[in-house]
Amino acid sequence: MKQARADLKQIAVRMIDLSEPIGQLDDVSNYRSARVFVMWKDHLLGRVDVPTHRQTVSAMRLRDAIVDALGPRLINAILRERYALEGESADGEAAQLPASVSVSVVVATRDRPDDLRRCLNSLVAQQSVRHIEIIVVDNNPASGLTPIVVAEFPRVMLVAEKRKGLSYARNRGIAASTGDIIIATDDDVTAPADWIEKLIAPFNDPNVAIVTGNVLPLELETRAQCLFEMYGGLGRGFERRVFSRDWFDQFRTAVATWEIGATANAAFRAAIFHHPEIGLFDESLGAGTHTGCSEDTYLFYRTLKAGFTIVYEPSAYVWHKHRREMKSLRRQLYNYSKGHVAYHLLTLLSEHDRRALVRLCLRLPQEHLRRIFTRLRGRSDYPLSLLLLEMAGNLAGPLALWRARRQVKREGPSEPYVPASERAIAVQGHCSD
Amino acid sequence: MPASMKLIDTDLSRQILAPEDPQGYEFLQALVRLHGVPVGYVKLPVKDGNFSPTDLRKAIFEQNGSAIRNHLLRDWLATSTSDKFDVEDFISSPHESDDKQWPLVTVAVCTRDRTADLARCLDAISHLDYPLLDILVIDNAPSARDTEQLVRESFPQARYVLEARPGLNWARNRAIEEARGEIIAYTDDDVVVDSEWIKAIARVLVENAEVMAVTGLVAPYELETEAQVLFERYGGFGRGFERKWFWVDTASGESVARLHGGAGKFGTGANMAYRRSVFDLIGRFDVALDVGTVTNGGGDLEMFFRVLKEGHALVYEPAALVFHRHRRDYDQLRAQITNNGIGFYSYLVRSAINYPDERMAFVRLGLWWLWWWNIRRLLISFARPSAFPRDLILAELRGSLIGLTRYQKSRRMASRIAQSFAHGETSALASKEERKS
Repeated sequence: MKQARADLKQIAVRMIDLSEPIGQLDDVSNYRSARVFVMWKDHLLGRVDVPTHRQTVSAMRLRDAIVDALGPRLINAILRERYALEGESADGEAAQLPASVSVSVVVATRDRPDDLRRCLNSLVAQQSVRHIEIIVVDNNPASGLTPIVVAEFPRVMLVAEKRKGLSYARNRGIAASTGDIIIATDDDVTAPADWIEKLIAPFNDPNVAIVTGNVLPLELETRAQCLFEMYGGLGRGFERRVFSRDWFDQFRTAVATWEIGATANAAFRAAIFHHPEIGLFDESLGAGTHTGCSEDTYLFYRTLKAGFTIVYEPSAYVWHKHRREMKSLRRQLYNYSKGHVAYHLLTLLSEHDRRALVRLCLRLPQEHLRRIFTRLRGRSDYPLSLLLLEMAGNLAGPLALWRARRQVKREGPSEPYVPASERAIAVQGHCSD
Repeated sequence: MPASMKLIDTDLSRQILAPEDPQGYEFLQALVRLHGVPVGYVKLPVKDGNFSPTDLRKAIFEQNGSAIRNHLLRDWLATSTSDKFDVEDFISSPHESDDKQWPLVTVAVCTRDRTADLARCLDAISHLDYPLLDILVIDNAPSARDTEQLVRESFPQARYVLEARPGLNWARNRAIEEARGEIIAYTDDDVVVDSEWIKAIARVLVENAEVMAVTGLVAPYELETEAQVLFERYGGFGRGFERKWFWVDTASGESVARLHGGAGKFGTGANMAYRRSVFDLIGRFDVALDVGTVTNGGGDLEMFFRVLKEGHALVYEPAALVFHRHRRDYDQLRAQITNNGIGFYSYLVRSAINYPDERMAFVRLGLWWLWWWNIRRLLISFARPSAFPRDLILAELRGSLIGLTRYQKSRRMASRIAQSFAHGETSALASKEERKS
């Protein structure tokens, strides 16, 4: 049946695997269009948007759309497979990490029991040869909402952090962890079963300190969710990227660390957290503070500056449930814009990186003007109100940073990260006393 | 004068053969196919009355590489069932499995007094590779009984139907009346169809329940004379080698005229097919339009527009291939180009009258086309005299202006024809479209 446009939902998110015959897309007729993520042999090739015209999308139309959008990528994937070296996997990804390398997953949460339950379900279902420790950090122990959920998962460890802020919570989880590799993710994320192994595989290269992965939208039912994707979302595309000190140095204006990824899907070598030039997440940045975000980009910054490599591994994807309400979206984008400016100020003040000034005084205003013009000329659907909101957020950035840093002074720093091995000795020493 | 061109038909999946005799041609144009499906053209100069197959092969991959790649990918996606893929599988994946339940298709040829052309046309139709065909020859207001004789004597598998009311759209509507198939594929008597023509059409309609109309690729049958080469340069009938899906969200107020008003981009009446049921939903062909009336054309374009306007999907499928024998004679070419102008503007007027919500978009389109296609090209012809013969541009400009007034006149004539034939069963033929208006 045909639907009136007003009844139509936004975008149906689907995933298809080309190792199976392509069927028609059912149940998409009450959406405006379908966004299809295309897998080929564990490799995420890319995405295709197909308008539904309020009908089932036939297999023929879907095939045409895939060939139009992803033809060259598909050919490359086939050829890469054909000419792969002995023992090499199809998409040139690194081999699995030795089973002796242990992994901890840190999920910080604040009063979102339903999301957390879904997230933990996907984490305990991870397929891996190694020991995986799952740590939930409750950032609002007073509410008592989180322990009830964690109690459903006997393998999951719960720690509490009263001081509000994602960085405080993550740092607490990291301090409690024992893994060689620490994975950060959010409570509104769900992951496919092979996620962890794909995400940590690049650590085979000893200079890789951080791996980020792709973040796909779990659903795009509402306008707010679609606008968040239009804003840039959390994913960073379908091409593998490697970021190094060379990349860090090439920028004349600020280092674009936001291109690397986000802590909704990132893995860290535990050693960086007690590296003298890197350390833990900066408590004055991140959700739950005045600055709202950027704790991840600032950590990426310090890691690259210290000479380590970061890999963006698009095949290690997770699903993120974007905020459904316009109100939450606006708050989120406002916070992102605040945090963006705060991050640049911090690189200027703490790292004496003057490139931040070029970004703040020149590039950022330029970028806003360009986006406004694009919008006014009808070349973009991104609402003007959100553009203005982002600018307001930018302006609020300096004050936000000042307030956040004052707050950290009041609340005190996180406990430092002690490597698990040294910790054991410390505990033993303590016992023998 | 533009050089005539030797046309050849090559299939990459078969041996590329030298044509019998490229002698006397300066150029050679190859229609390149893969597994029978057209993927592009290649043009090569002929040296000393010959050409090198190596050059041809090289040119094919230089000019049509991406089309070939996309064709292979589509085949591979359509047939892939296992996880074990290899380049060899990819190259050799079979073009489509043929285990379908094919529906009965009516092929309708509308003709008038052109028995030589019709014989060639029906000959090609009888070589169609399709299991369930219903072949109809609609003889439109003939001046003699030659067509009837030809069909009854040489093509007994075709059904002969006489449509006495003059006008191509009367004949097309008669075909709807007489068709036994769920799908009606229309072609003209000056066309030679490819053996895969109907399969390609049926495949789209069987696999896509929402598609109501399919148009296909019209390639030149020969480019022997100046007039034929000029017609191809003018734009010809071909609309490319990629399948295209057309659909307009009319329910939320998108304007068909604004997006797709220049309906010639979909193709032409020499190669179009419909689900028969669509005519019950949107009405039949407008008998005041097209050849045989004073509008001289536009009946096909108007139907393409109406399919989209009423919210249905139309697909351009290049695998549905036919060859059209363009007018050989320069005067005939000029007459046809004038008629294109008359027909196109008659279609615009007709649609603007019947769809008030699209009226402003049609006015804009009509003015823009007059400027962009007619007047601008005319001005260019003064600056660069070699581009395209000016008298042909003038012919179309004249036709476009005439076309503005022809539809209303044709409407009156059509209702007179309907009245004068309104006895016995023919009255039942008054189309639903007419009852609507």
